[in-house]
Amino acid sequence: MSHEYIPEIATDREGNKHEVQGWQDDFYGGKLGFWLFMFTEVMMFGAMFLVLTYYNTLHHEDFLLASSHLNRWLGGTNTVILLVSALTMGLSLLKMRAGDIKGSKLMIWATILLALIFLTIKGVEWTEEYERGVFLLHGELLASSSMPFGEKLFYGMYFTMTGIHGVHIIIGIGLMVWLIKRINAGLVTPEHHILHWNIALYWDIVHLIWVFVFPYFYMIGAGDVVAGGHHG
Amino acid sequence: MDKIQYERERKLYYKVLFGLLFMTALTFIQPHIYVAGTFVSQMVIAVIKAWMILMFYMHLKGDKLIGAMGAFSLALVLVFFIIVIAVDVTNFQFGAESYITSAPHAN
Repeated sequence: MSHEYIPEIATDREGNKHEVQGWQDDFYGGKLGFWLFMFTEVMMFGAMFLVLTYYNTLHHEDFLLASSHLNRWLGGTNTVILLVSALTMGLSLLKMRAGDIKGSKLMIWATILLALIFLTIKGVEWTEEYERGVFLLHGELLASSSMPFGEKLFYGMYFTMTGIHGVHIIIGIGLMVWLIKRINAGLVTPEHHILHWNIALYWDIVHLIWVFVFPYFYMIGAGDVVAGGHHG
Repeated sequence: MDKIQYERERKLYYKVLFGLLFMTALTFIQPHIYVAGTFVSQMVIAVIKAWMILMFYMHLKGDKLIGAMGAFSLALVLVFFIIVIAVDVTNFQFGAESYITSAPHAN
């Protein structure tokens, strides 16, 4: 079996044939491919939100009660941190496109720092929950505990979804460190910045998912706390 | 990218940031204004925030192809997931035995 190189031929509007040298400059193709990947992310989290909604309709009161016990201030702080990090990542891309490579790298480092603060706060929050006996395969979430089943479902989904979201944050930090290495190596430049564009898109989708995770888990029970229905 | 375009895009990023911060503040204020309908209100605020992120931070404004792909995917989810699941839930045969659907004996 031979491995002879067979060139790919593209034809222009005038009918002239050209040998394709590479697809590296196909900016829109690169962007489109990444959007297809992001749709798979949306499908994954979308399916989890549908499960959550289904459980919520079945055990609405339990969901409100469980939600009222989450720490809204830590969750809210993380919301603002992610929001600002989306700005810094966007500005890093803008500075790259404008040719300010140093400023661009500075903004990526700022985004990494904010991502680390987000993870630290999440860690504090999970530790708090563990200490009050609410954690996966632990204390109140064990099958033998007396916690209402709807609350167990709520917390199960809460730890699963915020955990998977946290993994995405860690992957994002890794991608940003890799991006800085590629910029330093001169492989990402103001003329060839598709990698930077796509990593910024990735960070936005991580932010976008949190935009729904935060109110769904932390805020739906807030109304009951205000009205004195429950205490949290 | 020229200086004018850079400044225009930079200003837009900050405008969207303030819009998102305002909507986040609204998330916290809403339960103090009215309790009934908290869930729906919170989801409406989230959808508005998501739209702002998609259009301006993710540069979907004016990108018809990817926008159409997104709308198509959303329609697929609505049709194949929500309707199919709704039919399935309505005709669920094991409600009495299931731990998920039947809360009382599962406690």
